This record gives sequence, C-alpha cells and structure tokens, in this order.
Amino acid sequence: MGFITDSLREALALILAGDREVFSAVLTSLNVAVWSVIFASIGGVPVGIAVALGKFPMMGAIRVLLNSLMAMPTVVVGLVVYGFLSRMGPFGSLGLLFTPQAIIIGETVLAMPVVANYTLAAIQGADQRILPTALTLGASRFQSLCQLTREVRFGVVAAIIAGFGRVIAEVGVAMMLGGNIRFLTRTMTTAIALETSKGEFAFGLALGVILMSVSLAVNIFLTLAQESHSA
Amino acid sequence: MSQAKYRLSSIQAVHGKTVSLAIDELTIAAGETHLLVGSNGSGKSTLLGILAFLNKPQQGTVYFDGVPVSWEPKECAALRRRVTLLHQTPYLFSGTVAANVSFGLVSRGVAKESTQRMVRESLERVGLEGFELRKARQLSGGESRRVALARALACKSEVLLLDEPFANVDRASAALLESVVTSLVAGGITVVISSHDELLGAKLGARVIRLEDGRIEGESPASEQGPTPSEEFLRLTGRENAVS
Repeated sequence: MGFITDSLREALALILAGDREVFSAVLTSLNVAVWSVIFASIGGVPVGIAVALGKFPMMGAIRVLLNSLMAMPTVVVGLVVYGFLSRMGPFGSLGLLFTPQAIIIGETVLAMPVVANYTLAAIQGADQRILPTALTLGASRFQSLCQLTREVRFGVVAAIIAGFGRVIAEVGVAMMLGGNIRFLTRTMTTAIALETSKGEFAFGLALGVILMSVSLAVNIFLTLAQESHSA
Repeated sequence: MSQAKYRLSSIQAVHGKTVSLAIDELTIAAGETHLLVGSNGSGKSTLLGILAFLNKPQQGTVYFDGVPVSWEPKECAALRRRVTLLHQTPYLFSGTVAANVSFGLVSRGVAKESTQRMVRESLERVGLEGFELRKARQLSGGESRRVALARALACKSEVLLLDEPFANVDRASAALLESVVTSLVAGGITVVISSHDELLGAKLGARVIRLEDGRIEGESPASEQGPTPSEEFLRLTGRENAVS
C-alpha cells in the first residue's frame, strides 16, 4: 500500500510542479483528441442522420457495418492507416507517419463510427412529428434536418463526447501512427504505457490522474448540458 | 362554386398492402371552408397529408391552382410554403414560444422586424399576448395548441389544413378556433378541417365531405346561410345579441 501512496504523492508533486514532460503529453493528447473529434463529427453526424432517415437499399447492412466499426480494435485501425501513410503506402510521400497529424487521421477513423452510431440512435429516438412539422411550416429539407438535429442536440453532443472518450483513452493508434516520440507525439496513454514499463510508476500515475480528471470534466459537462436541456 | 384550389383525380394512397385512400374526383374550392368527416381510419389524415404535399399518392394527379403537381422535391418545397398543416397533436420545438411561432417565417427568410411583428400579431390572434418569451415545453396542453395555431397562422399560407382541431378542446378554445377559421375564410384563405363531428359543417358554413374506408361517401354543399356560430363564439366576440 505504501508503494501506491508514495507513488501517488510523487505523481501529485509532478503535476503541481508543472513537469514539462507530463504537460507535453497532456497537451498532445488533448490536441489530437479535439481535432480528431471535430473531423469525426463533421463526417459522423451527417452519416448518422443519413442512415437513420435514409431509405436506400442495404440499410441493414450499413447499420451492422457501423456497429462493427465501433468495436474495431485500435491497433487494427492503426495498422490500416499505417499501411496508407507508410513510405510504401499510397500517401507515404506526404511524410505524415509519426506526426500528430497521423494520430489525428487514425483517431478520426476510430471516432467516426462512434459519433455516427450515437447520432443514429438519437435521430431514431426523436419524435416522429419533428420533420413533418418543420416541412409543413415551409422549411426546406435541409432546414428541417437542421431543426431535427437541434431538437436532438443533447443526443448529438453525447455522440461527440462518446467519440472523444474513445480517442482520449486509446493507445494503439497513437502508438503505431505517432511512434511515441517525446515532446512531439507522446500522448498521455502512450506515456503511461512507456513509463510504467520503465518502472516510472509515479510518472504514469500522474498522467493517469490527469486522464481521469479530463474524463470527469467531460462527464460533468455532459450532465450540465443534460440538465439545461431538460429545464 | 369558387375557383378550384385543389383538384384530385384518380388518387390512390397505399399503406403497406392496404389502400388507405381511393378518390376518383375531388375539388377543394378556393377561399371556402371544407370539412372532412369520417371515423378513425377513414382516410382523413392521409388526405390532409396529400393536400399538405407531405405524402405523395401512389396513383393519380393532384392539381393545385389548376397546375398538376409533379411531386419533385423542389416543387413540393415551394408548394409547402403556400399550404400549412396543423397536426392533430402538434409538436412544439424546444425553445421559446416566439422561436416556435417565427419558425415558418425564419424558414422563408422574412426580415427580423417583420418576423417580430407577425409573431406578436399571431399570438394576439389566439389570445396569447405576451407569451413570446415563455418556454414552449412549459405550457399547458391548451396553450400549446394555441401556440401551434399561431405558428401556422404566422405563415400566412393560402391554404390552412387543420387535422381534428376541435378534438379535446374546451369551449373557449373551440370558439376561438371558429372565429379564426371564419376570419381566415373571409380573408380569402382556403381552410380544410378534419373532424368526426358533421354538425361542425353548419357551424362553420363548410362544405362537408364524408369519407369512409378511404372513399368519398358523399358531399354536402356549404350552408347558404353561412356559418352558424356557437353561443360561446358569440359571447366571446360580443355578438350574442346579433343573432336571435
């Protein structure tokens, strides 16, 4: 027990001292997670709406595919994107491998099915009268869809936060596409994995505390949003 | 009869494998009140959905102002700006009453100042002056229905379709609705109302169209004496001594 408490004390000291390496990993994590969630939302929200409302063939298959993609192992995503970005891959000439941009690409692929699926569920659970009401009041199809999304905005925000949760906590993509380069692509999770394997348990614990704090902050935001929505 | 606003020819609407509406010929005259009467499942709501350009019939042709409707998305969107349907159980969007009432105007790109004025006028018309900033979701059932009516009125459409507007409303609300319908028709608006109650036809001076199992079973012309307003309507409008 002494080992845990000593490590925790050391971890808090590292956080309070503003350890450069700790905060570099935190900033890299937040940077790649925020950008990948922005891109995943730009793609995932419209996909979720289209699949929820679309009447095109193979709809069932598309839903199964989206569900399967949600559970895709992060290392598989990392592996596939690695293939595209490696020197011999189709986008190798861009020189993106082992950069934060490569992690953003991989994490976007990872988060998009999550955002799309949660959005789909939110739209499917919406009141069936929203679209006809908007249409009969003279809104265009696009305006009506915007209104529908506005009505289920809490569900869409939850979708985006679920996507954020998926990428902020993942290791596989960040490790394979970022390469865990100190002060460049080292994220909280890759740093925890590395430092713990080196025996630097306190360092890993410091990052773990911050990671948990970020998750808690996101959940507090979600709860507050839910309360203001239902008010 | 006035000029035809709608003419429906050989219309058939199918839900699953059931024919929910089969109309050989129907004309809706411009600037008049029409009452669709029938029991549950008689096809009233299906017909209103077609008249509102929300649902395309599987067969037949709908003429609007003499022009056949192609049901192309762009054309339907343009036609829906000329026709407004008030659903039986209207949905109010989250946000304020003003946001709800202005929805159709904002969608049409009406200027902000005009929108505010029209919202105010529409709310006054349904007896909800000063309700602009109230949360729509915190209103009573009766107030919600009035807001939905104000929202439909604000659109100033050529045709107003009302799906069972008199169901489960108190006498004061029914009288208010009667007065709104009467004033709309006096202003040249075409009004189509669905109801179970055929007696409403005489009250509103409406042409009655009887539907049963998706077919037109009969039609009665509008009363030549015009509407026979209810006592409540006369009391509310201060005209109780005008009719003996």
